[in-house]
Amino acid sequence: MARIRVVDIRNFRCLKSFTWRPSSGINCLIGSGDAGKSSVLDAIDLCLGARRSLSFSDADFHGLDVSAPISISITLGELDDSLKSMEVYGNYLRSFDAAAGEIDDEPESGKETVLTLNLSVKNDLEPVWTLISERSEAQGQTRYLTWSDRNRLCPTRIGAFAENDLAWRRGSVLTKLSDEKAETSGAMAEAARQARAAFGDIAEQQLSATLGIVGTTARELGIDIGTQPKALLDAHSVSFSGGTIALHNEAGIPLRGLGTGSARLLVAGLQRKAAKEATVILIDEVEHGLEPHRLVRLLQSIGSKETPPPLQGFLTTHSPVVVRELSAEQLTVLRRGKDGHHARVVGTKAEIQGTLRLFPEAFLSSSVLICEGASEVGLVRGIDQFRTAGGKVPMQAVGVTLVDANGCDNLYRRANAFHSLGYRTNVLRDDDKQPDRGIEETFSKAVGAIFRWREGCALEDELFASLPADAVTALLAHAVKLHGEELVGAHITSASGGKIALAACRKAVTPETRTCLAKACATKNNPWFKSVTAMEHCGREIVGPALAQCDAGFRAIVERIFAWIDDGRA
Amino acid sequence: MAAPEIDLLEIERGAITAPAGCGKTQLIAGALSRHSKSKPILVLTHTNAGVAALRGRLDRARVASSRYRLATLDGFAMRIISMFPARSGHNPAILQLASPGSDYPAIRKAAVALLEAGHLSDVLRATYDRLFVDEYQDCSAVQHALAKVMGDALPSCVLGDPMQAIFGFKGNTLVDWDNDVHATFGSAGELGTPWRWKNAGEEAFGHWLLEARKTLLADGSIDLTSAPKNVVHVLLDGSNDHAIRLKVCLTKAPTADGCVLIVADATKPAEQRRFASQTPGAVAAESVDMRDLVEFANAFDLGHAQALDRLVNFAALVMTNVGPDDLLTRVKTLRAGRARKEPSEVERAAMEFAGKPSYAGASAVLAAISKDAGVRTHRPPVLRGCHRMFQACGSHDGLSLLDAAVQVREQSRLIGRPLARRTVGSTLLLKGLEADVCVILNPDVMDSRHLYVAMTRGSRRLVICSDKATINR
Repeated sequence: MARIRVVDIRNFRCLKSFTWRPSSGINCLIGSGDAGKSSVLDAIDLCLGARRSLSFSDADFHGLDVSAPISISITLGELDDSLKSMEVYGNYLRSFDAAAGEIDDEPESGKETVLTLNLSVKNDLEPVWTLISERSEAQGQTRYLTWSDRNRLCPTRIGAFAENDLAWRRGSVLTKLSDEKAETSGAMAEAARQARAAFGDIAEQQLSATLGIVGTTARELGIDIGTQPKALLDAHSVSFSGGTIALHNEAGIPLRGLGTGSARLLVAGLQRKAAKEATVILIDEVEHGLEPHRLVRLLQSIGSKETPPPLQGFLTTHSPVVVRELSAEQLTVLRRGKDGHHARVVGTKAEIQGTLRLFPEAFLSSSVLICEGASEVGLVRGIDQFRTAGGKVPMQAVGVTLVDANGCDNLYRRANAFHSLGYRTNVLRDDDKQPDRGIEETFSKAVGAIFRWREGCALEDELFASLPADAVTALLAHAVKLHGEELVGAHITSASGGKIALAACRKAVTPETRTCLAKACATKNNPWFKSVTAMEHCGREIVGPALAQCDAGFRAIVERIFAWIDDGRA
Repeated sequence: MAAPEIDLLEIERGAITAPAGCGKTQLIAGALSRHSKSKPILVLTHTNAGVAALRGRLDRARVASSRYRLATLDGFAMRIISMFPARSGHNPAILQLASPGSDYPAIRKAAVALLEAGHLSDVLRATYDRLFVDEYQDCSAVQHALAKVMGDALPSCVLGDPMQAIFGFKGNTLVDWDNDVHATFGSAGELGTPWRWKNAGEEAFGHWLLEARKTLLADGSIDLTSAPKNVVHVLLDGSNDHAIRLKVCLTKAPTADGCVLIVADATKPAEQRRFASQTPGAVAAESVDMRDLVEFANAFDLGHAQALDRLVNFAALVMTNVGPDDLLTRVKTLRAGRARKEPSEVERAAMEFAGKPSYAGASAVLAAISKDAGVRTHRPPVLRGCHRMFQACGSHDGLSLLDAAVQVREQSRLIGRPLARRTVGSTLLLKGLEADVCVILNPDVMDSRHLYVAMTRGSRRLVICSDKATINR
């Protein structure tokens, strides 16, 4: 029952203007830390929730500007009959064209019938809920959902703590599992009477002096209260409010004492069972308190793998486990643009799904550098670690992730995927093999300029040609350490056609040995540094420290790469 | 409660033929009270009075109002087009009803177009469990089209009796029961228990009327000699017919609180009123348009020199034995100071009004006349309406008399007509009313349907004035 078709938020916290058409299943919001993910969940919760009042403050207004009212509109589709009743909501029924994404003010044959709910807050901070339609506005009519409909629509929110839903409170998921009700008021009243009887006249002894004064005064004033006033327990003061009945385990311990993760998992599972009544579930930081395997169970318990989706979930996450577990169309990137916030679904294409499985972290960052191979990834990481040791901010801290394209052919498929989702994206590639020129030109134009080693060069060519002599010697020493003298020597001999031996390379660094080593290092079988770990070590221990003494052309490329990385901070 | 003859809740699509007095309303009330689903049943009928009457019956049967929504066909049409103006695309002015003659047809047409386009099918199904349309024989072609297209979205059952279709006239062609109604909805049965007569302990009379209905349906002749004793034939001799009819108008009800309906010639309203004024205790049934009141309001002007003349003549229109000419002459004499006799109550009120005309004064004149010895009000709804109209104008500045008259008319339209002990009217005015005795003064000028409607008004006795014992069609 009832799924959100369109969300429209104005002037709410960090969201100046945000229009979003979520999917009818799981919508997991990802994006950088201050992108407004939680504000979107809050907005949905505030607009759809069944609270009689809410307290707003100036801080809830975008940029603290209280002159621009907060307005949260939610258009609901898949309405049940009572929400489509002409008798109750006739003047507010509208239609939604899913294909065009457009709302029309009146129902239309062949289109979905929808209702638009709005929560507005002006500078008086009073929340006002109304149903929206142009024709009712023209007629000066206003109304909102009936209380029973509001309660039915109320979404379940699983925040940091799930204890509210582990008791029979208004709107809690337990009340939506069935129509059963526990009749408590009679028992409570009886308990209050018994308490009064049990308490008896204990107070009379403890308060005898006061009672004496009251009795005397009353007599003096001619007020008839009998011979002596009594101090009894006021039955009305023994009050029990909502949430009186809560879930307990076998030993009688309240379930709100469960660990955070277990409580959240249980509530999510219950929500799945209540899906017929309440379809919308909101989960902040879905990974909170859950190990990866329990996190996966939570996602599956809310129907992440089911078609059609039983629940419409609005989730936020910073966990690669969640990104990897969900499908690309269940992930939405939320991003702040110049003209307000935008939401983009990660996608439905197979290559996106593959990238998602391999590099979930990249989707949680703000900048992505697509590297042609593992050695580029290692080099950049190594140099970054060297710079960090020297006091620079690490690239992870500015939200940059490196992605291994595993070859020239995948470079732009991955790069374009990230770029189209609004990630700050760039490419670092070898030049021994060129990608399709047209594709590269289009991409370069969009991002400014890409990074590549000089003409015809692979990374190994650049390193052995550009590093100062002692750094070249150090690279060779590291290769020997990794692969042994025998193998490295054989590679050198083979690369030089038997003209140069390992010993010669160790002795002196000449243009010939540089060329030979560059070739020897990149053999098909057992290349010396073609792994992230190996090249990361080279970058940190050798290239980074030697960068200042490097050939200017190579140094310029590396410096441009780090300038781009540092730019992510802005 | 015994099982109903036909269970309306079981009908997906069907028309029920319901002869007069055979428990149609009870059938509807019963179905509504058995209905237990969450969505209400939409019940449509023709007139506001019909809605008021049905609501009264349902309230008496203690049917929870959440189980149904009751409206007129036109009211419902207005609701849906005003609710979805863009889809309907009508000219908004038609909803103001400034010219009802063209606005109502435009409203009906717009509603049918809106429904036929299918825009509301989903919403209708979500809102109502099913549809009942009462008095279906009174549907015009466009109303039938409305019910038909609603029937595509909702399970629907229409109820009516082609033999009671008497509201067809030029420009308002009614549905044909076989060619339109049965063809669209299919027959879901015919009621055959004459409850009205059975409940009065006169079941044989009821069955005879059902047989008479069949005869009339086939345009046959009714033989009064073979009728049960409840049917009294009063022979007209062609010379003293009016005197005979007046005597028949005095027919007593067989029970203490019984009511008598007198059916006169539908084409001659003046004659109906003459019978009402000449029959002690009788009142005239009034048409919902209250034409005489509206005409009087239109012509009456406090400042006009003839104001008192108009007022007194209006009094003579609604009360018997007023003697307007004598009264006016006396007032003239009195005002000139030439009268020897003291003025009566009536004359004093009239003089006061003539000296200082006011709405309250006009009301006082009418009240004094109605209390005068020998005076009897034979058109109480019109007199009451006039008092209310004067009162409204006296207490609201700027309200014109005509507007007040229209207000009064619209109120009475909604309230419906309470039945007097002895009422004179036509089939058009008396349809839907029930009494113990029905007197038919001019059966020979009536067609089969009018005659059938008239014959079925009385539950205990039927008196027919005719110059022969067989009513030929």
